[in-house]
Amino acid sequence: MNSSTSSPDPQPARQGRGEAQTPADPGSASPLVTPGTYYGHGIPYLPIDGYPGKIIAIEGTDGVGRSTQITLLREWLEVQGYGVVETGWTRSALMQPTIDLAKSSNTLNKLTFVLLYATDFADRLEKEIIPALKAGFIVLSDRYIFTALARAGVRGVDRTWIRNLYGFAIAPHLVFYLKIDEKTLIRRVLQARGMEYWESGMDMKLGDDIYESFRAYQRALLKEYASMADEFGFRVLDARRRIEVLQDELRRQIGAFLAESDVTAAPID
Amino acid sequence: MTEWNSSALVKAATKAGKKKNSLTPMTFSLLHATDFADRLLYNIIPPLKAGMIVLADRYAYTAFARDTARGVDPRWVRELYSFAVRPDLAVYFRVPIEVSTDRLLARRVKLKFYEAGMDMGWSSNLVESFRLFQGRVLDQYDRLVDEFGLSVISASGSITEQQRTFRKLVSEHLQIEDVHEQLDELT
Repeated sequence: MNSSTSSPDPQPARQGRGEAQTPADPGSASPLVTPGTYYGHGIPYLPIDGYPGKIIAIEGTDGVGRSTQITLLREWLEVQGYGVVETGWTRSALMQPTIDLAKSSNTLNKLTFVLLYATDFADRLEKEIIPALKAGFIVLSDRYIFTALARAGVRGVDRTWIRNLYGFAIAPHLVFYLKIDEKTLIRRVLQARGMEYWESGMDMKLGDDIYESFRAYQRALLKEYASMADEFGFRVLDARRRIEVLQDELRRQIGAFLAESDVTAAPID
Repeated sequence: MTEWNSSALVKAATKAGKKKNSLTPMTFSLLHATDFADRLLYNIIPPLKAGMIVLADRYAYTAFARDTARGVDPRWVRELYSFAVRPDLAVYFRVPIEVSTDRLLARRVKLKFYEAGMDMGWSSNLVESFRLFQGRVLDQYDRLVDEFGLSVISASGSITEQQRTFRKLVSEHLQIEDVHEQLDELT
C-alpha cells in the first residue's frame, strides 16, 4: 500500500502573466449561468445555442442511490415519450481504461487525477451529451462536474483554476443533489461493498486507519457539496427517505420543469 | 531532459485515441495537459529543486499554438496550463512552413494524422492538410513570441549556426543567473 504519490504536488500556482486579467471567480455571489449554455469560455467550435435537449444531473456522494433513481426516472420519462440518454462518471470509451489503470497503480497525484476526469468528461460531453442535446433528448447524468469539483476541492486544488478548467462544461437545466449525512453514508457504503482506496481518500494520507480516513474524506466531501449548493443552484433532496418517496419528489420537480419548457416528447423507436 | 507527450500514465489513452482517430480538439488538449502535469511533478520539479537544469523538448507553448489552431479557446488553454512552472528561458526555433514541410517529407515516409491536422478535415490530402494546419500553428507561435517573450532562433540556417546562437543564448542566461547566485551568497 506504500504508494509513491508523495511527489511535490503544488497548488496550481498562478503564473501571473502580468496581464492583470485575473478572471472573476465564477463562484461567490455571481449570478447563476443560464442552463444549457457554457459555464466559461466553452468550446468555440461547438456552438450549442438553441439546442432543444435538456440536461438533468443527479449529484451526490456514494451510497445515495443515484443509479436506482436514474433507472426509475428513465423508465418514467420514456413512457411519456421522451428520448433519454444516460451518461455517467468515467464512462468514456477513451478514458475509462486509463483511469482504471491509474487508480489501480496509485500513480495519480491530484493534478493528473483532476485532468484525467476532465478529459473523460470532455469526451462524453462532445460525443454523448452535445449530440443528444442537439437531437432534443433528455440527458440524465449520473454525477456531473460537481463530483470533480468536490474531489478536487477536498484535495486542495485551486478553486478558480478548476472552475476555469470546467468552463467548457454546459450548465445543466436541473441539478439534484441527493444529500445524506455522514453516518448514513458510511453505513450504506460499508453495507454495499466496503471501502476502497480512492473512496477513502487514502491518497491524501489522512492516516493509516482506513476507516478514519474514509470518514474524514467523506465528511470533507459533504462539506464541499454543501458549499456548492448556492453557487450552482442545486435542488437539495434528502436521500435518507425511501426510494419511492425520493423518486416521487424527483418526478414532481422534473415534470413541472418539462411542462414549462419547450422540450417536446420525441418519438422513440 | 523531458519530452512532450512521454508520460507512461497518459500514453495508453493517447495511443488508443490516436489510433482510432477519435480525439477531439478538447480531449487532445486535455490529454496533453495531463501528460504535462505528470511529467511536471515527476520529471521537472524534482530536478529543479535539486538545482539542475531541465531541458524541455517542447513546453506549454506547443499546446497554446496547436490547440488554438484546432479551435480551442486560447484563454481556456492558457488558464489550463497556469499550474506550469514558467521556464527561465524559452527558445522558439522558427522555420517557414515550406522549409518545415520539405524537411519532414525528405526525412519521413508518412506524416502522422494529428500532426497533419487531418482531424480538422480541411483537406483529404495529407501534405496539403499538413501545410494548412502547421501554417496556422506557426501563426499562433508568432503571437506567442511577444506574449511570452520567447527567444527566437532562425531554424532555416545550418545546425552548426543554430547551435552557436543557441549556446550563446543559454550561456548568457546562465551567467546572469550565476551572478545572482553569487550575490545572494554574499548577502
